[in-house]
Amino acid sequence: LSPAPVDEKPPASRPRGLRAFFDDRLGLESIRALGRKKTVPIHRQTLSYFLGGMALFLFVIQLVTGVLLSLFYSPSADTAFESVQRIMTEVDFGWLIRSIHSWCGDLVIGVLFLHMLTTFIMRAYRPPREFTWMTGVLLLGLFLGFGFSGYLLPWNQLAFFATRVGTAIAGAVPLLGPELVRLLRAGENVTGETLARFYAVHVAILPYLTFVLMGIHLYLVQKHGMSIPESVLKQRGSADRVRSMPFVPHFLLRDMVGWYVALGLLAALAAVFPRELGEKADPFGVAPPGLKPEWYFLFMFQTLKELPAHVLGMEGEVLGVLFFGLCGLAILLVPFLDRGPRSRRVLVVLAWVTAIFFAYMTHRGVTAP
Amino acid sequence: MNRRRILMAVLLACWTVHASRAQHGETKPASAPAANTCLLCHSDPERFSEEEKKFLVHEKDLATDIHWQKGLRCADCHGGNPNEEEYAGAHSKTAGFKSLKNRADVPDFCGKCHSDVNFMRRYQPSARVDQVTEYWTSGHGKKLKADGDPKVATCITCHGSHGIRAVEDLASPVYPTRVADTCAKCHSDAKHMEGYEHHGKPIGHGQRELWKESVHGLAMLKRGDVSAPTCNDCHGNHGAVAPEIGSVANACGACHGKIADLFRETRMRHQFAEVGLPGCATCHGYHDIRKPSDEMLGAGPGSVCAKCHADQKFGATPAGALIAKGLRDQIELLKADIHEADGLLGGAERLGMEVRASRFELGNARTALTNARSLIHTFAAPPVEKAVAEGRAVTARVKEAAHEAFAEHKSRRVWLGWSLGVIALLIGILVVCIRRIPLPSAQERNSSPAESGR
Repeated sequence: LSPAPVDEKPPASRPRGLRAFFDDRLGLESIRALGRKKTVPIHRQTLSYFLGGMALFLFVIQLVTGVLLSLFYSPSADTAFESVQRIMTEVDFGWLIRSIHSWCGDLVIGVLFLHMLTTFIMRAYRPPREFTWMTGVLLLGLFLGFGFSGYLLPWNQLAFFATRVGTAIAGAVPLLGPELVRLLRAGENVTGETLARFYAVHVAILPYLTFVLMGIHLYLVQKHGMSIPESVLKQRGSADRVRSMPFVPHFLLRDMVGWYVALGLLAALAAVFPRELGEKADPFGVAPPGLKPEWYFLFMFQTLKELPAHVLGMEGEVLGVLFFGLCGLAILLVPFLDRGPRSRRVLVVLAWVTAIFFAYMTHRGVTAP
Repeated sequence: MNRRRILMAVLLACWTVHASRAQHGETKPASAPAANTCLLCHSDPERFSEEEKKFLVHEKDLATDIHWQKGLRCADCHGGNPNEEEYAGAHSKTAGFKSLKNRADVPDFCGKCHSDVNFMRRYQPSARVDQVTEYWTSGHGKKLKADGDPKVATCITCHGSHGIRAVEDLASPVYPTRVADTCAKCHSDAKHMEGYEHHGKPIGHGQRELWKESVHGLAMLKRGDVSAPTCNDCHGNHGAVAPEIGSVANACGACHGKIADLFRETRMRHQFAEVGLPGCATCHGYHDIRKPSDEMLGAGPGSVCAKCHADQKFGATPAGALIAKGLRDQIELLKADIHEADGLLGGAERLGMEVRASRFELGNARTALTNARSLIHTFAAPPVEKAVAEGRAVTARVKEAAHEAFAEHKSRRVWLGWSLGVIALLIGILVVCIRRIPLPSAQERNSSPAESGR
């Protein structure tokens, strides 16, 4: 008689630490292997690689602060303003959490704009990274949606009227305009129903979509690795000859320096410039003077404001909305529009025009009375 | 000639009905208009000499006339036969024609309908029917009855004759914003008012100008507040007369009820009455009532209290002056507290602190100040002191909250400093770690699996 075969190693021959315990069950070794395998190229534009990680870090801060705020926030027209007021005055560190959430919303959109700009300049959308670019552009759109929907939630006078103006712009979309306005407002006017809808969009729909798109985006980044600019490739001959560093720990440590800097900046902004709450929304009140949207919508708002009532037989606002819609579509399809040196030159010129237009109209919006 | 007249009458009738409908959306008059030949003559200016111009009726006036709009026609007021084209027949006394030759007949002429509740009910269920009765009690009515004075106002002086607009019509001479001008047609005419007296004193003719600059006039004329009082609110409408000394406070109290109630309970009221001083008006004036200020209170040179108490006129005592000074001091104390609390809150707000609840609470201190100012009309210190104490309790809480906000702001800066210190320390540790782990050389990198960077 021989003993039954045992496929387990004798206890003495394997490490029995906590790490091994989790490794056996979660397959951490494969994740570590992935980390070891992932590298980041080193060249003059390496700094731009930090922007994606920075955006991700800021998104995590938004998630954490957003969840904390939701513990005290009450999404109804009667109580929303008061609940935010309570967060600001009575809840321990509530003012800090709200201010960080609000400032971080601005920072994450700023970082995403920069991320998109550097990706465009480096032409990192080149095949096979077309979908990485497209998911990135869509993520930027989702974050703009976070900004728009979150702006109304304190239910103050400025937010109320800005949302009324903002949602009314959707009415200029040909054919679907009135339906879109009703969909956004949950009715004909901005009311408590709109607030409930915006809250649901802000804390449920947009986060789900963001998780999905971000998952795809990160998977694609992982699959295709970091893109190396053409100029660097040309200089070094091939990708293999470009110097690189491991993601873990070299790049991660550098990434963390950026995160801490961002955290310090956020803390300083929140403490020195806490976000004001304003006056409670009064649907029958007068719109506050100098009504303006958030800075990232200002260029669109100002353009629509300055457009003549009629242009080429069309309503100015309709033309403006169509123009911005086409611009968004063009940005989404950049990888497919870049089809050679000539189209590339056109794209670069258009990008410069867009950047200057964005800066100029934002400036006009900021300085407008 | 007859056919032409009939055609003209039909056209005129069509036009007036159309004008009436266009003006007020009237769809159907109370009674269908009968044939009306009166205007064939009375609208023709060539038929009347200068002395007879009063018989001329303008068609445009009739279109806006409330009676005309309600379907009433010439004969409903004047009698006569509107179907008769000849003068004698149309103005026949047997047909009920009434000649309005005397000014004194006007009130009863209008009162024929306006004092008839059954008639008026047909047009307005809650219409007043006591205007004529009131009129005969007014200064105007009494003068008319006693002296037959042809200069005093009657119904048509204020309301007009042909072209009487509804009272709520913005163009009506008795619409609130126009009342002062309507009264001023006579009362601002020095020549017209010459010889008229009230209690042995000339009535004068500057009332409208004084009222226009008063707090009430400015409220109505500048701010468009039609609830602000004008002539008729204090003097009455049809029974217009100057309030007597003892009833001035009641006239003011019609709007300023709380203050009138407070004044009614005071000893000052009786003292005023004893020496023949009217309540309210002695301190606040008559037609030129200015916005009251705290400077009116106290024993200083600008105060109205000092007018009597400084020289002990009308039985006023120095002790009263001391009370007045005490009241003023109380008011100033609360004002200073509110100002200070407001400034502190402003400072906290500028630092970005959330002090909205305290800002709201400060409103209670302002309410207490208003209450204290009202209670001055008790001319006693305790009620004012109590109201001031309530206000100061609020300002004390607000100031404390503002100081807490400053302390909170300071602690935030300290916490920020510490947090930034910790973050800097962590960044320093990371930098040390980064320096201790050198970047792999190209050789090392090439030996590791490469990424597909393109």
